[in-house]
Amino acid sequence: MSVTLKIPTINDNLKDFDNLFQLLEQLNEDCSEVIIDFSKCFFLRQNAVAFLGGLIRLIQSRSIKLNINWDSLHKNIKMNLEQNGFMYVFCENKEPWQGNSIPYREDKKQDKDGLVDYLAEKWLGRDWVDLSQTLQNVIVGTVWEIYANAFEHGQTEIGVFSCGQHYPKKKELKLTVVDFGVGIPQNVRLFQNLPDLPADEALKWAFEAGNTTRRGNVTGGVGLDYLKRFVKMNRGKLEFFSHNGYVLINKDEETYQKRPTFFGGTLVNITLQCDEAIYVLASDTDGDAPLF
Amino acid sequence: MTPDDGMNVYELTYPELRAEHAVELDFAGVEIFASPFFNFAIGQLLRDISPDTLNRLLTFSHLNGVGNQILKQVIKNSKRYYAADDATRNAINEIVSQQVGNV
Repeated sequence: MSVTLKIPTINDNLKDFDNLFQLLEQLNEDCSEVIIDFSKCFFLRQNAVAFLGGLIRLIQSRSIKLNINWDSLHKNIKMNLEQNGFMYVFCENKEPWQGNSIPYREDKKQDKDGLVDYLAEKWLGRDWVDLSQTLQNVIVGTVWEIYANAFEHGQTEIGVFSCGQHYPKKKELKLTVVDFGVGIPQNVRLFQNLPDLPADEALKWAFEAGNTTRRGNVTGGVGLDYLKRFVKMNRGKLEFFSHNGYVLINKDEETYQKRPTFFGGTLVNITLQCDEAIYVLASDTDGDAPLF
Repeated sequence: MTPDDGMNVYELTYPELRAEHAVELDFAGVEIFASPFFNFAIGQLLRDISPDTLNRLLTFSHLNGVGNQILKQVIKNSKRYYAADDATRNAINEIVSQQVGNV
């Protein structure tokens, strides 16, 4: 059976994520061919680029015949996909160039140094956000843990996909990281032996400091706490989509919801405000207290 | 930064600490930290080495404020985890093993 995925315009509001996930839902077991058409697409944000890259790799991994109608790309979209390197990865020899994009990136395996460089130089190192070096290092370390979690827990065979974008008029800097693995709720349900645990409750458990589904006798669950604190201070936004669960963290709220669409993996969408003064996280003052 | 990096450190330091030898971990030049490294390198030392012993034998040099904060949080988490009695932890680990086998 042949399926045509008509890619719509995708921003990064909730409805746009629904539209993205519904693309994946159109693939079923009978699917022998996928055609990707962009004729109805007039904008693709970073979340869509990362997700589409992963979707293409997922289709390829299933040995499904894939036909991407590159000619259906509107000129502006094509230019953006060329700039961020998406086209270079999938079909063209034209190398990407530096602009407001943070490059599209695929990591089939964890590349520690490559990811640190990507986050430090290509995302945060462009002076779009006024950060001290110390705070930049904090953010790089904590966002790196999102990738680490994807590789450790995601059980993804095709890897992790990222893309970012600077929106100068909105004064926002965004990064999306997505894996097509088993999803956070799956791991939490297995760990807690609660197969019917709702996705939003599973996410809430996963986000509590100290909780981890790591196997073996080693603790986990610290890194996300720092990212949450930082995003709140920055008046930014942190969003997680996994299964039909959704987490929204900003300065006003930390909510766990059920969504009407389902995505089997995990997608993280980070929004930083470029014009917010950002302060180094306060250090503990108990310098003389024993460490252990 | 990675669990593997942390495990490498753990495998070097654990035998020395068990032998009551002092160990110094020097973080000179390290500017970016991630908790998975500390969980594996330091956190799991608390499994069977007491906090008092670690305070006495294990020192850290050139660990900046960020690393220090993350390390403290990891230690706090690990103390709570390993403070659970062995029976509880064994029960948890058994459940996990069964679930892994069922996947």
